[in-house]
Amino acid sequence: MASSIGAMLESARQTLVMLRYRRTWWWALPGLAGLFALAYAAGLRAPERVAGADMFCVFAWWSLSSVVVPWVAVFLGVQAVHGELEDRTAQYLFLRPVSRAALLFGKWLAVAMVSSAISVGAAAVIYAGVGAHAARWPDGGEPELLYAFGETVIFGAIAYTSVAMLFGAAFRRPLVWSAFFVVGLQLVAANLPVSAGLRRLTITDPMRRMVLDRIEPSPRLARMLWPAEREFSYDDIGAPVQNLVWFTLVGLLVAVVCYARAEYDSRSRD
Amino acid sequence: MSAAATEASHRLSFANVTKWYGSVCALLDVSFEVGREVVGLVGKNGVGKSTLMKLAVGLLAPSQGEVRVGEHSAGTRAARAAIGFCPDFDRLYEPLSGATFVAWMLRYHGVGASTARSRAIEVLTELGLGSDMHRPIREYSKGMRQRVRLGQALAHRPRFVLLDEPMTGLDPVARAELSQRIRALPEQGVGVLVSSHVLHELEAVVDRVVLVHQGRVLADGRIGELRERLPERPHRLRIRGARLRGIAAHLTGWREVEGVAIRDGALEVALTGDSEFYDRLTRFAADWPGGIEELVPLDDDLASVFGYLVE
Repeated sequence: MASSIGAMLESARQTLVMLRYRRTWWWALPGLAGLFALAYAAGLRAPERVAGADMFCVFAWWSLSSVVVPWVAVFLGVQAVHGELEDRTAQYLFLRPVSRAALLFGKWLAVAMVSSAISVGAAAVIYAGVGAHAARWPDGGEPELLYAFGETVIFGAIAYTSVAMLFGAAFRRPLVWSAFFVVGLQLVAANLPVSAGLRRLTITDPMRRMVLDRIEPSPRLARMLWPAEREFSYDDIGAPVQNLVWFTLVGLLVAVVCYARAEYDSRSRD
Repeated sequence: MSAAATEASHRLSFANVTKWYGSVCALLDVSFEVGREVVGLVGKNGVGKSTLMKLAVGLLAPSQGEVRVGEHSAGTRAARAAIGFCPDFDRLYEPLSGATFVAWMLRYHGVGASTARSRAIEVLTELGLGSDMHRPIREYSKGMRQRVRLGQALAHRPRFVLLDEPMTGLDPVARAELSQRIRALPEQGVGVLVSSHVLHELEAVVDRVVLVHQGRVLADGRIGELRERLPERPHRLRIRGARLRGIAAHLTGWREVEGVAIRDGALEVALTGDSEFYDRLTRFAADWPGGIEELVPLDDDLASVFGYLVE
């Protein structure tokens, strides 16, 4: 029998290979190229007074936090978990003498790696697209902004991947639930006061606090990134990394419970 | 390990197993065992054959009772390591080659990458997949896909192999080959539980049958033994030869013969079970002027036995 660590790494390797077979890069690379084109076009059309740094932060925040990071992680994660359950090929894995937790952790690891790489790539192409307009960067480039966003999207992608694992393992229509979570819940929470407890159930909120903590924005930029908060204060930032780590761990734990339930092969699924 | 313990480790046992799906009872108090033999699980569609197999491999849990794989409860890691399962659905990892798929599954049994690869090639070669094993599975015919499914079930050298409707979709040649392979498994110490609702396919393969109907075990034993357990059902025999009316007139005088009829140029005889009858009939056939061309039992096959039991 394989050890749990060995099974997890093998599951991660196999998931990576399957993602490659599913032509992940075929749509990821054109997607990144399109994002570069959009960022470049935005740099051409925006009013001259808009600074390159502000422009990058706003463009990167809204495109990455609302679209790229959640949907890449959710799509790949759901594909890795739910696709096998739906077409029942997961049964071949469940017959093996390894724990289902190890299988799921492996899938999570692989999807988190790929979605993090794509998300960081997206942040980089946006930086390149906006940065191509040298006139907007009178003091030269500010790569620390890219590092800040890169770090944030990695944590975000990891957390969203755990959500994808959970929805993929628990629900029959995981993409619908994901849409409810990514668009519905997070959109509502984003407009709630800073003190609202519902914000804790989102990934966008700690990602936003993490970005604000890293980039030290002007009040104007802070308002653009956090419209719900009129009086931005660093006291409100809290511990976003800790929040994201907890979110990831709880999401993964519940996902494992769902994935490891005794009976996947219900008669209705047959 | 003592001989008894060794024998126990080669028993797949269902003990008073009941399985409910919500308010539907799929299996009720099912008990039987599989040793180093081929056991056929026989029943119509939807009577619980697949449920029994999934209970054995741990994909389902019994509502009551216990399934044991050797000394381990079904579903435990040790039990899963000892079982190979060939499911009835036709889905595989389509972009992979057959060899890669089987090797991937072997990796979870703690087999190293290169060993897994060579073992996968070995088992698929034995199953007759040849060089096709390196092509993507999505290009395979049904028979080739079935070989891959069988390969993943056999590659880790399990003590028990469970085959759920393995003949489905195979052409006659492939069915004959598969039957031979199944028959050879007990010689390698492997117990086989094979399900089918196509009874004549099973008949040539199994040592024993377990007849399942409406979630219960109707009967368990060798086909001939099961037939003998139905004395109230007259055996039917078809005789072809010269002067059928003369044969009929002769046989009606025998106490075992309940009735005779000539149909489609043959004599059909209904008789109560009596082993002496066949000895006498053999002598009679040898002496009959003009000879007897054919003596065929019409209802000693699995389908007839199953039909009688279900009725």
